[in-house]
Amino acid sequence: MLLVTNNGKVRIRFGDLCVLRFIEGGHEDVLKAVRDLIHTGHKLLTHPLAGSVKPNETPYRSVALTEETGPLDLESLQLIEDALAVVRSFRPRAGRGLEATPSMKEDFAEIDLRLIGGAIGPHLDYKKGE
Amino acid sequence: MIRVVHYINQFFAGVGGEDKADFAPETREGAVGPGLALNAAFKGEAEIVATVVCGDSYFNENLDVAKKAVLDMISAQKPDVVVCGPAFNAGRYGVACGTVAAAVKEELNLPVVTGMYTENPGADMFKNKVYIISTKDNAAGMRQAAPKLAALALKLAKGEKVGSSAEEGYMPNGIRVNFFEAERGSTRAVKMLLAKLAGKPYTTEFPMPSFDRVAPNPAVVDMAHATVALVTSGGIVPKGNPDHIESSSASKFGRYSIEGVEDLTDATHETAHGGYDPVYANADSDRVLPVDVLRKMEKEGKIGGIYPYFFTTVGNGTAVASAKKYGAAIGQELRDAGVQAAILTST
Amino acid sequence: MRLELGEIQISDVKLSDCSKVENGVLYVNTEELRALLLEDEDIASVEFDVVHPGESVRVMPVKDVIEPRVKVEGPGGVFPGMISKVTTVGSGRTHVLRGCAVVTTGKIVGFQEGIIDMTGPGAEYTPFSKLNNLVQIVEPKEGLKQHQHEHAVRMAGLKTATYLGELARSLTPDEVKVYETSGVAQGKDLYPDLPRVGYVLMLQSQGLLHDTYVYGVDMKQSLPTILNPTELMDGAILSGNCVSACDKNTSYHHLNNPVVADLLEQHGKTINFVGVIITNENVYLADKERSSDWSTKLATFLNLDGALVSQEGFGNPDTDLIMNCKKLEAAGIKTVIITDEYAGQDGASQSLADADAAADAVVTGGNANMVIHLPKLDKVIGHPEAANVIAGGHEGSLNADGSIDAELQVITGATNEMGFNRLSAR
Repeated sequence: MLLVTNNGKVRIRFGDLCVLRFIEGGHEDVLKAVRDLIHTGHKLLTHPLAGSVKPNETPYRSVALTEETGPLDLESLQLIEDALAVVRSFRPRAGRGLEATPSMKEDFAEIDLRLIGGAIGPHLDYKKGE
Repeated sequence: MIRVVHYINQFFAGVGGEDKADFAPETREGAVGPGLALNAAFKGEAEIVATVVCGDSYFNENLDVAKKAVLDMISAQKPDVVVCGPAFNAGRYGVACGTVAAAVKEELNLPVVTGMYTENPGADMFKNKVYIISTKDNAAGMRQAAPKLAALALKLAKGEKVGSSAEEGYMPNGIRVNFFEAERGSTRAVKMLLAKLAGKPYTTEFPMPSFDRVAPNPAVVDMAHATVALVTSGGIVPKGNPDHIESSSASKFGRYSIEGVEDLTDATHETAHGGYDPVYANADSDRVLPVDVLRKMEKEGKIGGIYPYFFTTVGNGTAVASAKKYGAAIGQELRDAGVQAAILTST
Repeated sequence: MRLELGEIQISDVKLSDCSKVENGVLYVNTEELRALLLEDEDIASVEFDVVHPGESVRVMPVKDVIEPRVKVEGPGGVFPGMISKVTTVGSGRTHVLRGCAVVTTGKIVGFQEGIIDMTGPGAEYTPFSKLNNLVQIVEPKEGLKQHQHEHAVRMAGLKTATYLGELARSLTPDEVKVYETSGVAQGKDLYPDLPRVGYVLMLQSQGLLHDTYVYGVDMKQSLPTILNPTELMDGAILSGNCVSACDKNTSYHHLNNPVVADLLEQHGKTINFVGVIITNENVYLADKERSSDWSTKLATFLNLDGALVSQEGFGNPDTDLIMNCKKLEAAGIKTVIITDEYAGQDGASQSLADADAAADAVVTGGNANMVIHLPKLDKVIGHPEAANVIAGGHEGSLNADGSIDAELQVITGATNEMGFNRLSAR
């Protein structure tokens, strides 16, 4: 499994359990990196818009893809392009995203970790940590 | 009193039918024909001060001149709001109403409303540009249309908030507006399901975006005399990428001459695409844009010729809306140039 | 299955030293109730307040809304798997305190939203402004993790609703409504000529603060299954969802599911309402494929002619919604879907994150991005500091006069995707 994330908590938790690509950047940067990977033949395993937290609120995003590559997967491409369109349709919001307070960022990071963890956990070969 | 100028065609002005359709624009004082019904619907809050009349053939055949003349006549009356038509299902009248209304909005910066039948060709052309009240397909629908036209015209003239298409009666224009329905959503859904189960008509509250499934054209019969164009989203550009087409999310397409070019080489061409391994495309760009093979076929007489320019962009992450825009522009040029066939290559 | 719902109309709620219902007034002994809730070691303190329709008061951030109910006859108890044992519910007799609700607030995460205005323009968008609400402000013990905090607030709400519901056990209802459903085979015999209709109820199930519980089971760990419509009325489905205030389904919505109510209303008249298929909205794409396959498979097992699908939440559930719709239609089942929209503040953006031509019958709960002006109200209860957080920016700027310009999405239940409201968009 290939995990793309900009969330440090996700890196700590899953970095040793799968191939992890850490992105220095915001929410959209992660999705763009995912899009580029899809163009090189990786397939999406998790939905790029996980959670109901709005894309102009959370600065964190974690997406799982197949580690192996194949022909371009059109469904994955459709999903990521639609997700990018949704993300771009939300206007930036003061006090949110990368501007959020440290404690709010911690909440966003925890939710992102839980969402991706809940999704990929059953598919990883590891003992549950808690 | 709110001042209204009304635009109608020669038929509704009582000048005559098809034989008078070349009638040049003129201004008449006060309300004429359908304007009387509108005036009544204004209930004293507004009044048609003048009616501009133009023949449908005249308008469509002398578009620029006619549009300017009509706009000048309208603006001379210093209206607060303009009403065009309604055109019902008269095609050329609908296009004229839409054209005048859009010009009033954009060039005169005045509020405007028109009306027509949903299948009038003017509807698709202008419904996202101006408010078009949906009417019946013939003039018998004037009685229902007049109050809606009048109500929306008054709101626009007063600068009041315009409600949703369902409330005001205009054709959906891609702008979603909230409003309270008479029944809750679940009840509406159950009713919609009952209609769908019974095969009765129903109206979805959110039409899905239309999907472009393009049916293939019939095969070109006479390839030996056909001019063939080359179009690619594989990013092939003259060496050095002179127009700086982006490696992903391209913001433009390029148009480059291949007149007299027999073969693309690593000295002349390369790819700007950032989504695939460029080594093979850079070594020999014919692999993406097959100029060499086509030249050979041209010499063998298998095709008539190659269009002297090729078109190129980068498909990598490029928005569908941008791609559509590029495609439309490229298609237009090829059609204007009488090209019979195009080969589209990706990566 | 046959369920009698005995409704007791509550016209007012009062804090008191004795819990009872008298002449339509619900009196709440706050000391007794507080002691009950503080049995949970994760809770540091609980405060109560009452808000009435028309009062100049804003409640925020709202976590859940729950209607007090009690099982007076028949198997099981309300809120099975959470409060009562997991015994199958939905038959016998249940009493309900109508016109009131328990509203829990809790600042579980820093960006928590969810506003109930009891008056003014905001009140028009939330159904809970029409109720007499007992507001319960729960503070957790220091250092409690987000998921433990969510659990504590959720359980405190259910305990209070159970405690209040118990007061209705021996009351004589103002009205008794009878809901009777037919078995799969029996329905076919009774209504051979009516179209067979099912309800595909999509439940938010993505993880922390995005969960729904069915008989206590976290729905993300379940495959789609079938419920009898009356089971919902006893609290078989409960909300653990704290995110996306406008289109999350509160427990109140599940107890009073409007699609179930409207389909039961038509049952035996224009349709044969066969049952409720519940499915989830997971993050993992293979789960989405599997669950939509299964919901369609169950619909086919039930021989449905038509289906109504309701959604919960923002963004990726659009994919589940479209998958469900596409597969149901492909199986020959005529389908109507209920959703809401994120079309941007100007209404010009694409409303859904997914789309398909098969979704040709859509009901919408409105555009959640629409900006609404919320005037300053006399009082803010719950966690007033959250007002400043909501007020932090372009879409929620706290104006000098104390009013808020915010998107509709901050209002609890505003664009509900079960079709609970009259709000729509075109």
